[in-house]
Amino acid sequence: MRSLLKLIPLFFIVVSFAFAGEPMKAENFTLPDYNGTKHSLTDYKDAKAVVVMFIATQCPVSNGYNTRMVSLYNDYKEKGVVFLGINSNKQESVEEVKEHAKEHGFEFTVLKDDKNVVADKFGATVTPEIYVISPSLDILYHGRIDDSRRELDVTTHDLRDALDAILAGKSVAVSETRAFGCTIKKVD
Amino acid sequence: MLSRIGCTLIVLLMLIATPIFPQHRGNPIRVTPIGLSGLDSLIHQRNGKILFLNIWATWCQPCVEEFPDIVKIHKRFADSLVDVAAISVDYPDEINSKILPFLISHKVHFPVFVSNVKKEDDFMDALNPSWRGAVPVTFIFDKKGTRRVFLFGEQNFGTFSAKVDSVLRMR
Repeated sequence: MRSLLKLIPLFFIVVSFAFAGEPMKAENFTLPDYNGTKHSLTDYKDAKAVVVMFIATQCPVSNGYNTRMVSLYNDYKEKGVVFLGINSNKQESVEEVKEHAKEHGFEFTVLKDDKNVVADKFGATVTPEIYVISPSLDILYHGRIDDSRRELDVTTHDLRDALDAILAGKSVAVSETRAFGCTIKKVD
Repeated sequence: MLSRIGCTLIVLLMLIATPIFPQHRGNPIRVTPIGLSGLDSLIHQRNGKILFLNIWATWCQPCVEEFPDIVKIHKRFADSLVDVAAISVDYPDEINSKILPFLISHKVHFPVFVSNVKKEDDFMDALNPSWRGAVPVTFIFDKKGTRRVFLFGEQNFGTFSAKVDSVLRMR
């Protein structure tokens, strides 16, 4: 009971930060890409932002965004934005991730999150699901790439808007949206 | 004589050529596109019954895995005060290629719709604004169309049954 009481101040600190509009912090991680090279979030401290994209090889919703992800990467790579794909699906192997990345022309790094450790750290549940992280590990944007699986029906470009605001030194107007997609298949 | 044999052969050939879907006989499976107004009617025009509503997709592995339990729920509560329905979030132009073959293989006999709401946000808001966007999700609405249960992620027959029973007991 006493230990529970000790948690009360911590609870109020967390709540007060939440209401003060402080951005959530991302926890650093280290994961191997499909070639086995390890990458940490803190490797990219010189980037203006890191776009972490939870993606899949078999999910039609995630695959519906493949060309849009490539376009985003091409449009922002010269502007200091780093893109990291993360595959946390237990049924999708490293070999499959590598093949998929090559097939769809992903020039950005794709990491394999074995046992969905990083997905759990972030609280990511679907693919595609996006987190934009600052060099000081603030989560500046979380949610979807845009507002429709079918590109013809898109009306809001949420991720682009967030990146444009960050690059312009402005605050992100809509920093939280809902990501619609396939549930990340996690280990039991 | 020859013409009689010919006729018999033609009839036999027609029978063989006809696709046999036993579950279609007398109760054909149809998948109806549903928009926001249709969804509102489905939820609120209850006629004294509660509504068990599953949101799924053929591309969603957990949805596919739990679907047999939705079929069991329909069987368990058939002829009771429970309507069972499902809305697929595949695309409407995938009814024949993906949705119907799946439903036929699972011998589904409850109403199935496919969302034709263009914005996923609008669809989610209509059902539950706190739904974060992953499927499957399952809702139970009471006789007045008030949402009483929201289940996120893959569930099983026991959980579904218990939740339906709890809503049936509500006054």
